[in-house]
Amino acid sequence: MLSRVADTIYWLARYLERSQAMLQVLRINYIASQDEQAFEGWKPLLYTYGDLTEEEVTATAADTALVLGHLIFDRENAVSVYNNIVQGRENARAVQDHITKEVWLSLNDYYHVIRQDEVARQVQVEDPVSGIDFLIKQGLLFAGTVQHTMPRDEGYVFLSMGKFLERALQTTDIMRLKREAFSPATEPHQSASALRYLLYALFGYELYTKTYKGVITPENVLEMLVYDEDFPHSLAYSLAQLVRYCERLRDDSLPESYDHLHFLIGKAKNNVAYSSLTAIDGPALEQFLKQTRGELLDIAAALNTYYFGNS
Amino acid sequence: MPENTLLNSYPELANVWDEMFRAEGTRPEYRHFVTAIENLAGTEMTRKAELAKKLFLSQGVTFTVYNSGEGIEKIFPFDIIPRIINHAEWQRIEAGIKQRLKALNIFLKDIYHQQFILKDGIMPAALVYSCPQFLREMMNVNVPHDIYTHIAGVDLIRDNDGELYVLEDNLRTPSGVSYMLENRSITYRIFPDLLPKSNVLPVKDYPDLLFRNLLALGSRQASEATVVLLSPGIYNSAYFEHSALARLMGIRLVESRDLIVHNHFVYMKTTRGLERVDVIYRRVDDEYIDPLVFRPDSALGVSGLYWAYRKGNVAIVNAMGNGVADDKAVYCYVPDMIRYYLNEEPILKNVPTHRLDDPDKRQHVFDNMERMVIKRTNESGGYGMLIGNCATDEEMADFRTAISQDPRSFIAQPIINLSSSPCYIDGVLQPRRVDLRPFALYGPSGIDIVPGGLTRVALREGSLVVNSSQGGGSKDTWVLGPEN
Repeated sequence: MLSRVADTIYWLARYLERSQAMLQVLRINYIASQDEQAFEGWKPLLYTYGDLTEEEVTATAADTALVLGHLIFDRENAVSVYNNIVQGRENARAVQDHITKEVWLSLNDYYHVIRQDEVARQVQVEDPVSGIDFLIKQGLLFAGTVQHTMPRDEGYVFLSMGKFLERALQTTDIMRLKREAFSPATEPHQSASALRYLLYALFGYELYTKTYKGVITPENVLEMLVYDEDFPHSLAYSLAQLVRYCERLRDDSLPESYDHLHFLIGKAKNNVAYSSLTAIDGPALEQFLKQTRGELLDIAAALNTYYFGNS
Repeated sequence: MPENTLLNSYPELANVWDEMFRAEGTRPEYRHFVTAIENLAGTEMTRKAELAKKLFLSQGVTFTVYNSGEGIEKIFPFDIIPRIINHAEWQRIEAGIKQRLKALNIFLKDIYHQQFILKDGIMPAALVYSCPQFLREMMNVNVPHDIYTHIAGVDLIRDNDGELYVLEDNLRTPSGVSYMLENRSITYRIFPDLLPKSNVLPVKDYPDLLFRNLLALGSRQASEATVVLLSPGIYNSAYFEHSALARLMGIRLVESRDLIVHNHFVYMKTTRGLERVDVIYRRVDDEYIDPLVFRPDSALGVSGLYWAYRKGNVAIVNAMGNGVADDKAVYCYVPDMIRYYLNEEPILKNVPTHRLDDPDKRQHVFDNMERMVIKRTNESGGYGMLIGNCATDEEMADFRTAISQDPRSFIAQPIINLSSSPCYIDGVLQPRRVDLRPFALYGPSGIDIVPGGLTRVALREGSLVVNSSQGGGSKDTWVLGPEN
């Protein structure tokens, strides 16, 4: 497979996975803004997902419609969901012969949906939850179409690697965003409520209540988000998937490239698996998340260098 | 500024307390809400009403009606205008319900043990023993932490003088709490940003509080109790509520065929074999819960459950036999119970109630039937009831005969002019009658009442019956926080 094609497919998956994560975080943060008396505001999200200056953040944060407009629909904001989808579609267009027609069509549809004024109006004026749900559904349609129609070839492997690398990055980012909630300095009631929204933001609340019987503690939440191999948004799960897809690349790779990538993924996976995190130790948790993020970016860099020829 | 036709065209009912308006204008607790909707165009409101309907369907918040031939999924009609309660009034409601529940719980413990209340002559023994929900099987059964009424839904109504009355204490398996939760989540979707700006107290803690109480009932020396929700199954009209609560608490939703009693312990059948169950939140009525002890033809219960319960091997929520305390004739004695057990004056009033087994009172009721509501003591859901001012002579005659044959099974109350609340119907605000059902949770650590409840509304014009089976709907209920 051409390096360019591999690169394009890989980024296609990353854009889509990132959009899904952003939309869900925004959705849950919006619900919290309506239903939580101790709502922490929009600033952390604007810093993480936006491109605004300090003053602009302050001016925007108080107005939900402005925040959602900027992070989802703003065409000037290079990292908005809108631009993610535009990029994803551009990528798909460039590799149409490597993805199925159905996958291309689902992306094309997504693009036309997010351009509709009606959708923006729904998110900003009417019911943001319905509007965001509608967009998330487009993303799910894409994921399902990939599952259902793509041959399990090299292209699929790069698509999957992009998806799980981005997912692991998003999980670390979202955990860092809410790291206050893990701190023992936070008042227990407030911490539990922030952790609940964190779980919702990662689609993990139902699994959590079934596993841990109602009591929300920082320890258990960490346990699930980091180590639970059955939870599709945990670090352990994403890294296990990365190892799996990486190993499928073996026969199609230069031995040196493969060894390098495999080493880095294995290292990240084991560093997560053999870490011994406690929520009490705030600095260590922060250090761990930073380190994991660094290692994930190393994997991205290795793919870039050894597979996409962008050295 | 254009005149606001939505608010100005509201036809107030004579002699009825309106929750939103009074003679001088809007009540203070509604002011913020009214300002928010004042400037909305009529089409905007209609869009919101349609959105709410769509959301209920897409969220699967439905109940199924089978008796109409085929299984039809219906939504419980929802009115978008919330019912708002100010903080001071809520505090009184909360204190009143707690007091009532405390007394009723002691009553249940007493009536199934030493029966001091009968021996001291506060209440006639005949009344208790003639109550079909009084279960002799519960005599001298010790229930965990002496709690019988874990979950109660107390129905409150407001008369035209603004006074709140308790209409019923539902102590068996009160339903509707999932609508309280869903109504709130629909409200923040149709009125973005209105809730946080209106100082409304959250109701979302309900599942956590309930689950905490359920876990606390497990007696086994195990790290954690296994709690299940026993539902009659998908054909039950409240099945949505059963599955919603099970999901919110992360507990298993079981049906009778999933449970088995062995050696007086309850187990559920799982793919990994039998797993012991410690606490059952049951939504199956007493008479169906154990075919070996109660109705033998019941397919909804679990054989042997009663004995497992009696031996203390499983906790059942709510306790069996609670029906004796929310019997409509026993209801007359709740104020006396409060005085007798707690030595306090009742905070919330009872609706004046005539027991019909007293011949003088019966005659009085027969003479004034057109001003009375007559109810069967053991029925609920708005069935078995006669409202004097809109009944035909024939219906009245039928009731007279039935009452004379079995006076214990009836009570009579004056017609309470339920308060009204504006509803958005056909593009205009119209007054409709409402009640209020807050949900109280009684656990080992005390009684919690989440600030809110289910406001049921009689959507038929002029109707006083709010039950969902009789064309009732519901509203979101806002309890405001203390003013800063």
